[in-house]
Amino acid sequence: MQPVPIEALHVLERVPSGGCGALVRKHADGAMAGALLVERGRVCWALSARYPWRLTDILVAEQATLSRAQLDEVFALCRRDQLPLGETLVERGLVSLPVLHRALLRHTCEALDCLLRDDASPWSWIEHSGHGYHPLLTFSPAEVLAGVHAIACPTRAARALARLHQVVRPEQAGFTIDRTRGTRLPIAQLHCEAIDVVALADLATQADEVMAVAATVQVEVALAQLGAFACASWLEDTMLFVLLCDGELAFNRLLAQMATMTPNL
Amino acid sequence: MTVLAEICAAIDCIAAAWVDTRIGVVVEQRTSREHALIGPALDAMTELMRSRERPPRMVLLSAQHVHIAHRQARDPHRVLVVLCDRSANLGFAVATVRSIFEAAEQAA
Repeated sequence: MQPVPIEALHVLERVPSGGCGALVRKHADGAMAGALLVERGRVCWALSARYPWRLTDILVAEQATLSRAQLDEVFALCRRDQLPLGETLVERGLVSLPVLHRALLRHTCEALDCLLRDDASPWSWIEHSGHGYHPLLTFSPAEVLAGVHAIACPTRAARALARLHQVVRPEQAGFTIDRTRGTRLPIAQLHCEAIDVVALADLATQADEVMAVAATVQVEVALAQLGAFACASWLEDTMLFVLLCDGELAFNRLLAQMATMTPNL
Repeated sequence: MTVLAEICAAIDCIAAAWVDTRIGVVVEQRTSREHALIGPALDAMTELMRSRERPPRMVLLSAQHVHIAHRQARDPHRVLVVLCDRSANLGFAVATVRSIFEAAEQAA
């Protein structure tokens, strides 16, 4: 088996753009090992027979004001009336949308991580036509890829994400590679939702290769035109940060930003 | 006036060169002043621009220097490399090199 983030990339690159369905794995006895559910090309849920936590466990852990009794009551109501649990919790003011989003992403990534490690069949794609998940509560393959990778290094991933929030402007996207890890895939990302996950992995590899050579002449920041994107990359300790910008004068805008930032790196 | 001469006249650069990334050699070079970084800088930029997948345009910033590279459209192995000191006129230097390169591309 390859490292889990690479296995995750191989699975996520199979998610059809705009497709609805599930990528499924089975155990040798035919029982389902788990699945990755997809709507309109976005990941909405993952389940694994080996994953021990429920969403409600994570919600209680993420939001201290939420009691198990409150959750159980809403859970029973949703089951009886066939209501979506997440939206109902938000509507009743029991959790905020960001907390729900974070809990769902954590559950999805951790369950996928378990499923990737499971001794089960290859993935098979089962198409369906149902649309049931709120788009705000589904995740791009890029979010899931970074989320799965971050499981092994949560503190460093949180630090990387906090730094991305400082430097990535609203019209930009950015991601971070942890060079102490074996794989050149993001451990954190911001606004990369629209970028194809394979393109993101290619950008990460190119940025890392560029910085490896650039460092031989004490270069701190590399700016390059990579396809539609102007791309800036720089190292902070062992973290490689990559900033992406497209549109009119993207390269010039990024150059000006990096020239200002460099003394603070 | 050649592209390299025009660049050296327009901005305060250390060196400007055409490199052939396929064979990794400097085809033509103009040096405004001797500097120990010229050789390593040309080597690094040649390495970075070697592959066809490499970007058409690149700028590298260090604390003291700016490295600029542009790849020719009609011959992707031929790359213009400019090394200059980093100063407050960073944007001007980058824009000037780009406009001279693009004018030469259009004239070719």
